[in-house]
Amino acid sequence: MVTGKGGVGKTTLAMAITKALQEEGKKVLYNSFDQPLNQTLASKIDLPHFNLEMDSSARSYIAKKLGSETIAKWILKTPFFSSLFNMLPGLGHMILLGHIINKLEEDSELTIVLDSPSSGHAITMMESPRNFKEMFRTGLIVDDINRMERFIFEDERMNIVVTSLPTAMATQEAHELKEQLASRGVPHFSLVLNDLLSLSPSLKEASPGDLPEFIKTKCLHEERLLSELSDEEWKHIPHFAHERSPAIIKECQHLLTKGAPL
Amino acid sequence: MIPSKKIELFCGTGGVGKTTLATSRAYSLAKSGKKVLLITIDPARRLKQILGIKDDNAGEVSTLTGEDFQFENGQLDALLMNPKTTLKRMAKLSQEGSSLDNPIVNILTKPYGGMNEIMAIIEVQHHLKTGGYDTIILDTPPGKHFIDFLQSSQKINQFFDKSFVDIFKYFGKRFSKSKEEQKSGFLSLIVKSGIKKLLSYLEKVTGESFVDEFIDAISGLYLNRSSFTEALVFQEDLKKADYSNWFLVTSVDQRKAHEATDLQQNAENFMHKDSFLVVNRSLTPYLENWQPDASHKGLVHLHSSMKARENTIKDMGAKRLNQYKEVLYFPEVLDIEPMTHVKNLASSWK
Repeated sequence: MVTGKGGVGKTTLAMAITKALQEEGKKVLYNSFDQPLNQTLASKIDLPHFNLEMDSSARSYIAKKLGSETIAKWILKTPFFSSLFNMLPGLGHMILLGHIINKLEEDSELTIVLDSPSSGHAITMMESPRNFKEMFRTGLIVDDINRMERFIFEDERMNIVVTSLPTAMATQEAHELKEQLASRGVPHFSLVLNDLLSLSPSLKEASPGDLPEFIKTKCLHEERLLSELSDEEWKHIPHFAHERSPAIIKECQHLLTKGAPL
Repeated sequence: MIPSKKIELFCGTGGVGKTTLATSRAYSLAKSGKKVLLITIDPARRLKQILGIKDDNAGEVSTLTGEDFQFENGQLDALLMNPKTTLKRMAKLSQEGSSLDNPIVNILTKPYGGMNEIMAIIEVQHHLKTGGYDTIILDTPPGKHFIDFLQSSQKINQFFDKSFVDIFKYFGKRFSKSKEEQKSGFLSLIVKSGIKKLLSYLEKVTGESFVDEFIDAISGLYLNRSSFTEALVFQEDLKKADYSNWFLVTSVDQRKAHEATDLQQNAENFMHKDSFLVVNRSLTPYLENWQPDASHKGLVHLHSSMKARENTIKDMGAKRLNQYKEVLYFPEVLDIEPMTHVKNLASSWK
């Protein structure tokens, strides 16, 4: 699961991870969770993926539990329940997460790369199982929630990739996010520092004299940050000066294939 | 300076610098002598530090007293949203407040419980009514969740209006307003109307106590519906050009022109045309003074890709210019101190 604040490059990274795993010969699928998939980009890079639709996911979940499509359809058709779903995003998230876990349990070879919602809503998502368990206490849903929690928190099956841009404020926020997720019991993390200008291939072979002041300043700030973070295990991804996303994804993918996996 | 209005909204996709820009606007208005309240939902820790906001006083308004915030006439207050505090006050002000003390409502109003957006609207309205502020600046949740925020009052309305009416209609035969039912109140009405029956299907899935607590929660929300539906008035007010300023923030350093356009198209349904498109972290002033040596392919490539990104955002602004009064550019601040960012951006508001 790839998370981080908005605009840090989650989608690029999640897609690159998917492609890199695919290249290694792994069975892998990308999923954009509750956000609409960028169809154009996915087909441009030939991305293995699947979509989950909130309404039908909820319906099939309830149908499975009650043993009847008809009752499930009817329940979700009532304005009461549809507005309840609207008002409580956590409920929908949990059902999506349940479907993802099912898919993984059906196929032990499969890896799913989850392009998750950004920071705050990732926490909501991780908090939801606990909240809803507190709410429901008994019943079939609680059995499912327990299974979900085991999957997320106990089994060695989930890795969360926390992504950040290379500024002091952003890395501090990434830390906070990591702490908050860890305090909710998430066991495995990777930290990724994305878009490092000072490591950009475009700057290779450039001497300081070739660079304008603003780029020098940016690089200086980055280098200072990197030395502050040197005792932590941040993986570094350089800034790739391409205009189009597919080219950037490709560069990231090569980097992930060559270097240590996340 | 752009004339201030009663309420100013900063919205945009995540990571574009909304909170810092909103703070800089609040700072420059306070400096010009206004009494300003800045409401944020989930600011970075370092920004909380400069605003003097602590997590344990979330939900409470505090006046900034740091040496950076000594204004001759103006005043800058800050508030970090906490849905629980909003709920408590709602309960206190309402005759039916005790009905909100329900395990389910309590879970839903945890900071990450899912009712953030709705409670934020109620909070803003409260301060508009009672705070005596010249301007309230609202830093909204990012992207899609901002649309949730805008739609939340609609959703509330739907929830109370359509759902209840329809559901009672659905169980039409059972649902009759006999004297006995009027006497025994809303709760029994809900039970007799058949919602309980509907929920009993779910009982298998959800557990028994849930159904009762759920009915309590729903009736609690229903009894307090006026506090929620008042939020609809707020939404209408936001559409008035003399009442609100909208700042739609985009950032040059993100490849999300597509997402930003989506957000704009959605938000434009709610906003008036007297709004501003804000381009943050603009590199134009830096790029204008830089012409890399043609022999250095890498730098030429970097230069052209930076220019291209800047132009993508500019084009986007140009295409939708009919929706905005003006496009505002804020150059990237090359400093690591958040307060320097705030002051620097504040000077650009002039």
